[in-house]
Formats: sequence, structure tokens, C-alpha cells
Amino acid sequence: MKKLSLFTIAFFLLLYSSGFGQFQLPEYEKYTLPNGLTLYLMEQHEVPLVYVNAIFPGGAVWDGEQNGLAALTAEALLFGSKNYTKDQIEQNFDFLGASISANAGTEAAEVSISFKKDDFEKLFPIFADVIKNQSFPQVEVEKRKQRWIAELEQDRESPRRVIRNYFNKFVFGDIPYGNPVEGTKKSIEGITSDELRGFFNLHYPLSLGCIAVVGDFNTEEMKAKVESFFPSTPKVDVPLLPRELTKEVDLPFGNRVMLVNKDDSRETTFMIGGKGVAWNNPDIVQIDILNTILGGRFTSWLNTELRINSGLTYGARSGFPHYKYNGTFYAYSFTGTENTVDAIDLTLQVFDRLHKEGINQETLTSAKNYMKGQFPPDYETSGALADLLTTMFFYGLDESYINDFEKNVDAMTVEKAKEIIAKYFPREDLQFVLIGRADEIRDKVTKYGKITEKSIDEDGY
Amino acid sequence: MQFVFYNNLKNNFLEIAMKKIIFLFLITIVAFPQTKVEDIKSFTLGNGMKVFVLEDNSIPNVAMYFLYKVGSRNEYPGITGISHFFEHMMFNGAKKYGPKEFDRVMEANGGSNNAYTSQNLTVYQDWFPNQTMEVMFDLEADRIANLNFDSTMIESERGVILSERSTSLENDPMEELWDAVQGAAFFAHPYRWPVIGYESDIKNWTKKDLENYFHMYYAPNNCVVVVVGDVKIDWVKTLAEKYFATISSGQKPRDIHTVEPEQKGEKRVFVKRDVPSPYLLFAYHVPQSGSEEYYSLDLLESILSSGRTSRLYKSIVDDKQLAIDIGTYYGQAFDPTIMMIYAIANQEVNETDLEKAILDEIGRVVKEGITEDELQKVKNQKLMSFYRTIETISGKANTIGTYELFFGDYKKLFSAPEDYNKVTREDIKQVAQKYFIQDNRTVGLLNAEEVEQ
Repeated sequence: MKKLSLFTIAFFLLLYSSGFGQFQLPEYEKYTLPNGLTLYLMEQHEVPLVYVNAIFPGGAVWDGEQNGLAALTAEALLFGSKNYTKDQIEQNFDFLGASISANAGTEAAEVSISFKKDDFEKLFPIFADVIKNQSFPQVEVEKRKQRWIAELEQDRESPRRVIRNYFNKFVFGDIPYGNPVEGTKKSIEGITSDELRGFFNLHYPLSLGCIAVVGDFNTEEMKAKVESFFPSTPKVDVPLLPRELTKEVDLPFGNRVMLVNKDDSRETTFMIGGKGVAWNNPDIVQIDILNTILGGRFTSWLNTELRINSGLTYGARSGFPHYKYNGTFYAYSFTGTENTVDAIDLTLQVFDRLHKEGINQETLTSAKNYMKGQFPPDYETSGALADLLTTMFFYGLDESYINDFEKNVDAMTVEKAKEIIAKYFPREDLQFVLIGRADEIRDKVTKYGKITEKSIDEDGY
Repeated sequence: MQFVFYNNLKNNFLEIAMKKIIFLFLITIVAFPQTKVEDIKSFTLGNGMKVFVLEDNSIPNVAMYFLYKVGSRNEYPGITGISHFFEHMMFNGAKKYGPKEFDRVMEANGGSNNAYTSQNLTVYQDWFPNQTMEVMFDLEADRIANLNFDSTMIESERGVILSERSTSLENDPMEELWDAVQGAAFFAHPYRWPVIGYESDIKNWTKKDLENYFHMYYAPNNCVVVVVGDVKIDWVKTLAEKYFATISSGQKPRDIHTVEPEQKGEKRVFVKRDVPSPYLLFAYHVPQSGSEEYYSLDLLESILSSGRTSRLYKSIVDDKQLAIDIGTYYGQAFDPTIMMIYAIANQEVNETDLEKAILDEIGRVVKEGITEDELQKVKNQKLMSFYRTIETISGKANTIGTYELFFGDYKKLFSAPEDYNKVTREDIKQVAQKYFIQDNRTVGLLNAEEVEQ
């Protein structure tokens, strides 16, 4: 690393784009076993730990009519496998201070473990059994279902925890990306052990997944050890991609408002947005730069207007959550009930300003520096790198995703920004979700669009 | 299952880079595996500011932490919450960098920041590419030496804080119960009010209050700086001399001499709120960080709640299905503090049954103690969680700083493995017997309706 001398550094306002220490993806090996399982191995020796992350196409978009099926299947992987009971799994990991978790999100299901490197022999066999041989014991599944339903009820005490479910459903409609990951009370009640098994068989064949091992080990030794747990079983082929996943979001409704009543609210929590982009969008880095300016950092325009300048909220932000075939755009904030309209008007003014004024060179340079400067810490730990590798597998990304990041950031210009804003930042057909005291705000928010109302106590979104 | 209060929601999907948060933090410590005591360098400037440096070139970035020994325990009624408010004001303009400039300049230089306030400390965190370190020193020096209190900024920040307070109450019933239980468990010591302060104090403190607070607590001699990352010690020293050494030192802040009188009998609190099932919270008075019994209590806490095989989770959530969430909290503290045990009841579970089941589990530890396997388990857990903490430059910076302050010497983190290893089953049983007694307990219940006794 070049060090600048104390007396020559010109720093007060860096208006040129800096080349900070560039982060490159550490070396790793990737290969596929005859049974179709893909393996990634990456050595990292800073601490004597190993992180293992497995990913499968077992997310909520595959729920079908039974919302929550994917999420419950993932959690139930830890309720017992062929060779280990739930208690044995938990005791072995807990005793060694290690961790094991299994979760499903919108698209993927992941099973992750981390442990001290010397404990590989004791823990990896359990992990391998968990992802290969499932038992889904009914007693445990029923216990978890009952608590799950109670959790869904408690979640409704927190508008910020549930607002995304309303928003996604509102934007995606029947496209499976609108499925609430945790399901609904009614859908969870109906799920059986057999259905979990069916889902598992369809979505967790080794040929569809990958395992990334990152940490303090020797690659050659680790390869042999890991492979011994995944012998050559016949390759199982892929479930078909349901056509609905690739269906374009279509919002020909004009602006719409979903007003969710919560009687004891002291504030209004809101999301405003619409259609976004998918992972493979060629402009994704450019979109990210502009979103950094709009609502992706502390000095972003949204946070500046809603928080810093007006004190209306503790925070405001925006984002482009992107999935394999689809995505959304949202702005999010919350404010005291009496300030609802002020905060939403300001948000819309900021959207307008982005379209009308665009951005200047100083703002762009600042955002570029920010993104580059904050990039390396995202991949600082072995756990983060294991996540990165499985993400790359799942979304079909190669090293350029990391290694060309800086180059792609640098390629952005003020002119290009205009095109990106016009093309990707929604200005019409905005979808509003508001959670708060409906009676207090109803009349004032009709101006934003046609209102649909719900009560937060109603099951589903 | 860990319940972290006022967590840093920076990377959360829905929360903006929410700087300036209140945070009651917990850390676990065993020595750095690949770092030796002599790798951590330190020097003290003429004005009393102590600086620690650890070179770590795993990424081309730096974590720089400023830990001020001031928190809500330094407040009094009328200005409760001012430490936290002050934390926000530190971002609102000084002499060279006016309002909004601190964040603007830092982000334009590739840096980001956050801060938290607890009952004991106010901590400022900067993360940046190593090449822009001098800018960060300049920014920090400006606000430590010459903070400016702009009246417009004070008013808009007051709104931000009221929103911060309101949104945590809006989204988390446990928050409301926590404040009530803390306020009942302590009646003399300043740990009794919430870090964010009472609403009426937030609305009424003045510019003068802020100025007084600044001069009292924001002097270099009340601050510890930790720099970890891709840096060279000499460069840090040069910058520290250039930017920080010229700031004048202040008077030593007044000691907090209030001692909470011994609790003599159980206290009970009820909070009414429309929730689907009851929330329970227990508080027991326990000694502070660095005290003789600290390590035993810290391990006892893990035995109760760390992992799916922990006493409380296994029994109350998994086997008996009485709660959907359960956990404990024993935060770092300068003064004698409280250990919290919280639970959210499952559907149709009566609060009396849940309370009894939790107290039965605690009673079992008191009566029968713990097993050798359990003791080994929590020691293993401490080691693992420590490795995870020090995988990052931020984790290292926070650990060095908090050890220096709460345990009186950062070197104690190198003797911590020994301190944890020395703890025996008998020690744990003893602290359980001493502190988990009814007279030392406050019980809080939050529910839609209060049941007639």
C-alpha cells in the first residue's frame, strides 16, 4: 500500500475519485462432483475457524399455495436427520461453541455452520447428514408450527417487521416473489411433515446446490475430507423453473395506496416504490451508485431531507432488492402520525428532484469514493466470504463481480446517470404502503392514489 | 435468541444507516489468538488522551474508535438522555467543518461512521480506507476542540431523537417493559432512567445544558482512542500529535458516588399494552464488570440462555412450549448493575405459569448447581464468540477500548482466558445462590389486561 506523505496529502474535500486499496477476491477452488454438487474452498488463516455454507433453490418463491413451506422446511432440517436426533445435533454444536443454522429466504435456502478448525471431524458429519438425509419428525414439526404461529402474531406488534410483506405482495401480486417468507397463520397451520419431505426432495438434491468451505485449513486435505461425505450418487435433475418467476412486474394501475390500520400506533411507517431490477441487470452497479445518493447512506438525499434538515424521522432510506428474475424499488421511513403527509411529500419531492435535476460531479465522486471505501469490510470475515461464494453460485456470478467492482464504479458518469435515473427509478405507478392509525390519516393520504384498506390483525398481507 | 437492545440496524434491510443509536452492549473476551500483548501499542498525549494502535493489514481499511467515559449514569433528572443527545450533536457542526460537513466530508473520502451511547460510555466509530486517515483526524479534532451548538440544528435533532424514542416503543413492547423494570429495580442510582431519556427532558433541555455537558465530559483526558487496521504506528503517532495534542485537557469529571441501597424485598411492575401474549422481565442486582464475581456471573448467564441447549431455551421454549422467545442480558457496567431475564409467552400461556416455570429453572441452578459438561460448554462458547469478534478490525477496536475502560487495563483481555478457566462449578452455584433470591428481584409484566390477584 502506498502511503501518502504527511505534507503532500490534499484532503479537505476530495473531489477527485480516489483509488483506495483495491479489494480482490482471495484465491479459491471451485469444482463439481460427479453427483452434481458444486464445491468452493477458500483458505483464510486469520483466526482458527472454519465456516461452511450450503445453498439450495429452496426459497419462498417455490411455496406454491402454501406460504411458509420453504421457510419451515429449512428450519425443520435441524429437527433430526437419519443418524442424529434433534438433541444430538444441538448438543454437539452447542458443546463445542459452534453454530448451526438453517433458513430460507425469498429464493434460496441456506444451511450454515461455523466451528473451531479442530472440531471438523465431530461436526461436519452431522452437517452432511442434515443436508442429505432428512427425517422431519412430526412431533417436532408440530411444536414448531405452534410457536411459529404465535411469532407471526407478535410480528404484527412491529410495523417495521411486517411492512415489507405488505409491500412485496402489493407490488408483485400473484408473481411468487410476493410470497411472504414466513407464511400466514392459516398456511402454516395446514403444513404437514409429509409436505416438508416432499419439498425437501424436490429442492435439496445435491446437484442443485453448492457448499462453500472457508477458513483455516489446507485445501488439498479439506477436499478429500469433504468429498468423502458426498459419494457418487446418481445426479438428480432440476425442478423446472415456473414461468411465473420470470413474469414482469406489471403495475398499470396508476398510484395506489395500501393503508394498514394499527390502532395503537404512535407513528406511520411507510414504503413507497414499485418495480426494480433483477440480479443480472447489466447496470446494477450504476443503479447502486445512484441509490447510494438517493437513500443508501447517511448523507443521502432522503435521509438529509427527512432527518437532518427537518427532524421528521430517525431515518429514511431507499433500495433495490434484487432477485434472480425480478426486483423492487422502495423508499422507507417512519414518522409521528401527525407528520405523515409532510414526510411523504418530502419523499416524493426528493424523487422528483432526482429526475429533474439529476446529480452533479461532486455528488457522484463522493458516492463513488464511499462505495469503494466501504467495499472491503463487506468481505472481511470467512463467514462473509462463504456467503459470497454461495451467492455467486446461486446467481451465476464470476469473479468479475468483485474484481471489476471498482472499474464499474469508476465508469459511471454524470451523463450516464441521467439515463439510469430515467430508465430505472420509478416516477409513475408508485405503490404506497402505510401502517398506522387509519382514521387519523385516511383523508390526508387519498391524494396519493386509490386506497385499499386492511387491519394489521388480519391474517396474511 | 440473543435480545440486543437498541441494536445497530445499519445493515438491516429497512433501517437507514442509523447512526447515533443507543446501545447497551455485551462482549465476551478471551485473548486474541494471533495477537500478542506487545502488538498493541499505546501512548498518552500531553493532554491526557490515551491512544492504542494495532496494525492489521487484512483489508486496506481502518477502524478508529473514540470512547468517552460518559453515559446516562452521569446525568440527573431534568437532563436525562442528554448524553445520547450529545452524541447526536457531535455530528452537527464545529468550527472548521460546519453543520452537515462532518458526514459529508467523511463519506466523500470513502469513510462511514456510527456512534452509540450506553449507561456508561459514549463511543464514536469511524471506518475508512487507510489512505484518508488524515482527514479523519482533522474531522475528529475539530469537533472535540471546537464543537458548535447551532440552534437550528439543536431543534431538528430534538425531532430526530423523539422519533428514535418513539420508533423503538412503536416496534418493541419489550422496550416499554424494560424501561419500567429498570426504573423499579433502581430507585437511587442513575441506572434507573432510560439511556434515551424521559420524553419531557428531551423536549426541554437547553443549549446551555449542552454546552455545560460538553465542557465537563468531552475533554481529551476523558477519552480513549483505539486505531486498528492497515496503518503504521508512527503515522498514527504523528497525526495524533499534530491534531489531538493541541486540544486542551479538562477538569476531571465528578465521580458518581450514589450507591444503590440494598434491595429488601421483591418489587413488581405492571405495564398495560395491547399485545397478543404477555411479556415478562426479571431483574436481579449483580456486581459490575471487573468485579471478583464478574466471570462467574458471565458464565452463569450463558448457561441460562446461550444456545438451544441452554437451561432456559431448552426447558421453557423447546420442551414446555411456554414461550416463543427467551433470553438474558448482563451488560458491561462501571457500577453494580442488574442481570435481566426476559421472555415472550406463547399463545394461550398464562403469565403466572410462565413466571413459575422460569423461576423453577433458576431455582434448579441455585439448588443443584450445574454440570461439568455445562461448564465446559460455556467456556467453549466464550472462546468461539471471541474468535468471531476479533475477525474484524471493528471487533478488535471495540474490545481493546472496552477492556481498558471496564476492566481498568486492556492487558486484562490477555489474562481473561485464565480468569474464565478458573471459574468452577462451585463458584457458579455460589453466585446463583447469592443473587438469584426473591428479595433481590424485580418482576415486570406487560400485558393487555392486569389479572386481579
